[in-house]
Amino acid sequence: MTASSGSAIDSASLEPSGPSNKLHWLLIAVCSALLALLLGSGVLAVRFLGEMHTQQLAVSRALAARTQMLASLWQSIQSYNQAVQQFVQQAEADRDQAARQRLDQLTLEIGAELQRYPRGLDPAETALLDGMHEVFLQQRTIYVSVLETRPDERGRRAKALMSERMVPLQQQLLDWSGKLQSWNEEQVRHADQSLLSGFGLLQARLSRTLAISFGCGLLLMLGSMAYIVRLERQTRSRYVQLARSQHELQRLSARLLDAQETERRSISRELHDEIGQALGALLVDIGRLTSALSGERPEVEAQLTNMRSVTERTFQSVRNIALLLRPSMLDDLGLVAALEWQGREVSRRSDIEVAVESENVPEDLPDEYRICIYRLVQEALHNAVRHSGAKNAKVTVGQSGEGIVVRVSDDGRGFDPERARGLGLLGMEERVKRLNGTFTVESQPGQGTTVKAELPLPAQRGNGI
Amino acid sequence: MKKIRVLLADDHTLIRAGLRMVVEAQPDLAVVAEADDGRDAVAKAQALKPDVVVMDIGMPGLNGIEAARQIREALPDTQAVMLSMHSDEGYVLRALKAGAKAYLLKDSAEADLARAIRAAAAGKSFFSPAVGKVLLEDYMRKLERTGAEDSYEILTPREREILQLVAEGSSSKDIANLLNLSVYTVETHRARIMQKLNLRGIPELILYAVRKGIVS
Repeated sequence: MTASSGSAIDSASLEPSGPSNKLHWLLIAVCSALLALLLGSGVLAVRFLGEMHTQQLAVSRALAARTQMLASLWQSIQSYNQAVQQFVQQAEADRDQAARQRLDQLTLEIGAELQRYPRGLDPAETALLDGMHEVFLQQRTIYVSVLETRPDERGRRAKALMSERMVPLQQQLLDWSGKLQSWNEEQVRHADQSLLSGFGLLQARLSRTLAISFGCGLLLMLGSMAYIVRLERQTRSRYVQLARSQHELQRLSARLLDAQETERRSISRELHDEIGQALGALLVDIGRLTSALSGERPEVEAQLTNMRSVTERTFQSVRNIALLLRPSMLDDLGLVAALEWQGREVSRRSDIEVAVESENVPEDLPDEYRICIYRLVQEALHNAVRHSGAKNAKVTVGQSGEGIVVRVSDDGRGFDPERARGLGLLGMEERVKRLNGTFTVESQPGQGTTVKAELPLPAQRGNGI
Repeated sequence: MKKIRVLLADDHTLIRAGLRMVVEAQPDLAVVAEADDGRDAVAKAQALKPDVVVMDIGMPGLNGIEAARQIREALPDTQAVMLSMHSDEGYVLRALKAGAKAYLLKDSAEADLARAIRAAAAGKSFFSPAVGKVLLEDYMRKLERTGAEDSYEILTPREREILQLVAEGSSSKDIANLLNLSVYTVETHRARIMQKLNLRGIPELILYAVRKGIVS
């Protein structure tokens, strides 16, 4: 009964509760979300950085191309101007043709260069280039008119042309190219700025993500810690509870055993002292009556004989019941004699022949030790008779070192002690544990059974009955 | 004729009264005192020096076997008749070892008590017939189950004769006189019997004889 209530408490406290399972899933979900957030922001940052890098590369490449083109355009315009000046200043007609050809070629080159200039979609740049082209065309118109004059006339007008029209136009052209240059620089600044703002954006986004992740992580950590602390506290209190209830159970079962023994003893004493003695006295009286009649009334004598046999049978059964409750041998003759008697009783009543061997068993064993060993042997032999089908059983009791070793073995069919543990074995174990002893059952199917108990002797001996 | 003086020790008044009537019904027996526990019995025996103490085994305080041992140690001439509820050999052997001459079962005490007291007073053994029966049954069952040989078969007729006399309480001198042998020869026979039957001491020998139905 005690065993079943103990297992009920065990199963109740070990059963997993619902909320903790839900929490388990929540924890996994939050952890995964956090990891996903971190991974996402990482990927985002890497991709963004890559994009920035390509953008910057494109911008600087475009700038380099424009600068180069501008420089070459600039150079072409310079050399054109020089060529025009030379042409204007020289007056020899035979060289006109060559100079003209050179100027035409340069004009074509400049036109081509202007065409080749990489044009973005920006209208400002297009306007600048168009303006430049227009100025160049004006210049060229002037040159063409200059070229058409005769060399001697040219000499005359050259100075005026140069100073009045060419120089301002040249200047204008240079201005336009300067504007283009500064526009280019502006563009670079723009690109830099947009790059910077892009970085700023990324930074802001990353720090936001990190802040969220950190916050979540912190929350998660705090939550988990709080939960762990709560669990630990719960576990501790449950452990304490369990230990306490186990202790209580042990005490209870010990008290039950004690109460049982005391009760048995008093009932046995009562049976023996009252009923047994009364029956004994009755037997004496019947005997005396029979001898007093001395054959005078045979019919009364027959009745007396009948009475006598009934009384004797009752006397026997009262004696047997009393012995079962409390073996008086334990008190009259001591443990060894009681065990020998027990062995003979079992041999008489069953098919098992029991041999009892004892060695160095102290005479002054305390009563609780004697009763423990006696009941252990009784129960083990009882089990052997009921279940084992054995032919022989052996009981050995002996002192070894600081303790007493009791062994009950049989040559029966045995069993698997891991799987089959009846209340009998539990009761034996309970008794042995109460005296701080160890209890073992060695058995295998077909190998017989050995029940063994080792009881440490009490430090102070001689206080027993 | 001198009466045999008897001390009755039993913790139950009813039983004691019954026993007293049985004893006093005999002309050659007289109850000198009654005791109601072991210690009382020892004290009264030492004071009154009775010829026979009739003692219940199961008594509170000092039990009957211990009391019988103390009385036999202090007063070698006082014999003990044990009364018991048990026919088990553990009791019989321990009673014999304590120095008791007779062993009676309580349920047949009234019939055999006078004979047992007389036998004990004469230094002879006496056992309730039922005791011998139980012991014999135990013995035969054991022989049958273990397949051991009955050691009685290996004794010579002379040895069996001496075994019976020893078990009945005769001394080596009595036996020598009775059988016309020297005391030394009787002693040699006794030693050989003990060896053959693997017995230690006279109580075991008596028990063996009771078991075999040689003595009753």
